[in-house]
Amino acid sequence: MKRYLVPLLAIGTIVAALPATALSDDNKKPLYTVVDGDKVDAHTYEGFKTWRAAACARCHGANQEGMVGPSLIDSLKVLTYEEFKTTVLEGRLEKGMPNWSTNKKVVENLDALYAYLKGRSDGKITKARVHRMDKDK
Amino acid sequence: MKVGLKQKLAVSIACLFAAGMAYADADLDKAMKDPSNWAAQAGDNQNHRYSTLKQINAGNVNKLQVAWTFSTGVLRGHEGSPLVIGDMMYIHSAFPNNVFAVDLNTQEIVWKHTPKQDDAVIAQMCCDTVNRGLAYGDGKVFLQRADSVLEALDAKTGKVVWSVVNGDPKLGAVNTNAPHVFGDKVITGISGGEWGVRGYITAYDIKTGKQVWRGYSTGPDDEMLMDPEKTMTWTDGKLAPVGKDSSLKTWQGDQWKIGGGTTWGWYSYDKDLNLLYYGSGNPSTWNPAQRPGDNKWSMSIWARDLDTGKVKWIYQMTPHDEWDYDGVNEMILADINVKGKPTKALVHFDRNGFGYTLDRTNGALLVAEKYDPAVNWATHVDMKTGRPEVVAKYSTQHNGPDVNSKGICPAALGSKDQQPAAFDPKTGLFYVPTNHVCMDYEPYEVDYTAGQPYVGATLAMYPAPNSHGGMGNFIAWDAGKGKIVWSKPEKFSVWSGALTTAGDVVFYGTLEGYLKAVSLKDGKELWKFKTPSGIIGNVFTYEHKGKQYVGVYSGIGGWAGIGMAAGLEKDSEGLGAVGGYRDLQKYTNLGGSLTVFAIP
Repeated sequence: MKRYLVPLLAIGTIVAALPATALSDDNKKPLYTVVDGDKVDAHTYEGFKTWRAAACARCHGANQEGMVGPSLIDSLKVLTYEEFKTTVLEGRLEKGMPNWSTNKKVVENLDALYAYLKGRSDGKITKARVHRMDKDK
Repeated sequence: MKVGLKQKLAVSIACLFAAGMAYADADLDKAMKDPSNWAAQAGDNQNHRYSTLKQINAGNVNKLQVAWTFSTGVLRGHEGSPLVIGDMMYIHSAFPNNVFAVDLNTQEIVWKHTPKQDDAVIAQMCCDTVNRGLAYGDGKVFLQRADSVLEALDAKTGKVVWSVVNGDPKLGAVNTNAPHVFGDKVITGISGGEWGVRGYITAYDIKTGKQVWRGYSTGPDDEMLMDPEKTMTWTDGKLAPVGKDSSLKTWQGDQWKIGGGTTWGWYSYDKDLNLLYYGSGNPSTWNPAQRPGDNKWSMSIWARDLDTGKVKWIYQMTPHDEWDYDGVNEMILADINVKGKPTKALVHFDRNGFGYTLDRTNGALLVAEKYDPAVNWATHVDMKTGRPEVVAKYSTQHNGPDVNSKGICPAALGSKDQQPAAFDPKTGLFYVPTNHVCMDYEPYEVDYTAGQPYVGATLAMYPAPNSHGGMGNFIAWDAGKGKIVWSKPEKFSVWSGALTTAGDVVFYGTLEGYLKAVSLKDGKELWKFKTPSGIIGNVFTYEHKGKQYVGVYSGIGGWAGIGMAAGLEKDSEGLGAVGGYRDLQKYTNLGGSLTVFAIP
């Protein structure tokens, strides 16, 4: 069960201008789309807003690099989507990860949060602070 | 009017009776007077962190060696220090806040107390699971647990004598502060400014744990224990009554109910004035656009009557905070010359980068100067209004939500955070562990949900630009003039409480894990030793069987570690831990332990 990224045009400067779109397992629903490293689709942007609203940076670092909590850049290379969901919704209390099941915004935007963090972990979203691609900065 | 000896005596006795209850704890008073003990977190009620012991001195400190060590068995950040009463040392740990009573004759554990706390509390703590230590009094050891339960333990057996719930951790009301014993009361605060907790301070009866009074930081006058006519504040170059609804008027609608102003710092007490001093923290949220007004009385210095909790005077340092400059840092009570005049002063090194000197008897503002030249968010404090002159470029209110205001100094963790400074009565100077860190700050709209984080800003922190490249300084400060006397650069923030001694040495720890001894005169390094982990604890000293010891916790963590992590990290390098934190990881690793030194 592997995820992959298209397009994989690793040709110098051109790649920056082309949207990188990650696909989900069923190969139909895009997880995230990003251009120029920091302009993302509306769904992924909701993920970023959820990340901010829940103050995840408090433990995972402003750039998801890890602080008291683990680096999500690393974790999302390993966690499956199901594992990600379980961790967020049930927490890892003894390690300080809260149970987010009572936070409406997190529950409702779990897919978007995943898309955003996955994009960061994949190295395709190159800045933690993203903008909506259909809007000016 | 001349007063005869008899009259003086009569007055003294009357005072004793009037303040009778407040003087009840003879046990602690006696213990504090004997320099062989370390009977309170600061060694005394005034937050001096000074010891008259001088066996270890500037001439022989380079011969210090490890006498013994102790592991707390807990990995995360260790703040505060142990207490020493007679033959017994009381050692605490970070969450789950285990307590050990150790016999100094044998270093054997006489008793241990291992509270069972809900793991869910860990995530409710903003900046690591630190605990700033125990208090002693009336034959009891007081533990302020993370889950807000305040416990009184029998000092001889460790048995719980009483316990009381001080807040609701489900709403983010948790504790990291040390409780303080003043007179016959145990004083404790509350944390949770990042959860929208409405701050308060509470006095509990030392014998029973019964609540004597509670004063809130925001809201109606009666709940703050504020008298509109009698509570004074510095206004227009003089002291004036605060007036009716002084807090309510500075908030929009009901925002004061989730307005922060928490109270997690160190407290002090002037026995003669019977006044308790402490600071209140940031207003919630970190997005200033969402809470118009001065947000009183967050970010303030408070003086309350110990017996009644009534506010005698109050001074707000950072009206309408836009940078998370909590006002909780310790108030040091010292009798010094201020601009040439002998003064009963209160000296406070605020997170906002200004060192304040006030007349502690009435709250008059005397000095407010930058104690780190890097401070740029305000040009100066207007001595007439007492308000800072904010620089628009660094105003996150002015720049608005979703705008990243860059290059603000100091960073949110302040020019100094909770790590307490020390006073030396001989030099009359203050020795201050400081941060030399700046930040970019982007506020954004956030909704309040009970029990959920209510932050509303993202920050990036880095060493002060165009300086020595390090993230800290250890300085000597003249609080009468508002001037730095000397400044010793450090690679990382100095996040360890200092200790001055009559041996003309000042001690502090570093994040790399060094315990250092430097000369009071000029900051010259006399000795250092690398402990097992980074130091965010406070240095303390005691004497046992005629020999002086100096000790400190090591155990990296707290916001210092977190600050480092956020530190040097630039957006563009955001893929993994690079920069400052990794740098710190070259020097140290997690692990709570105590190292005690002596001259062999």
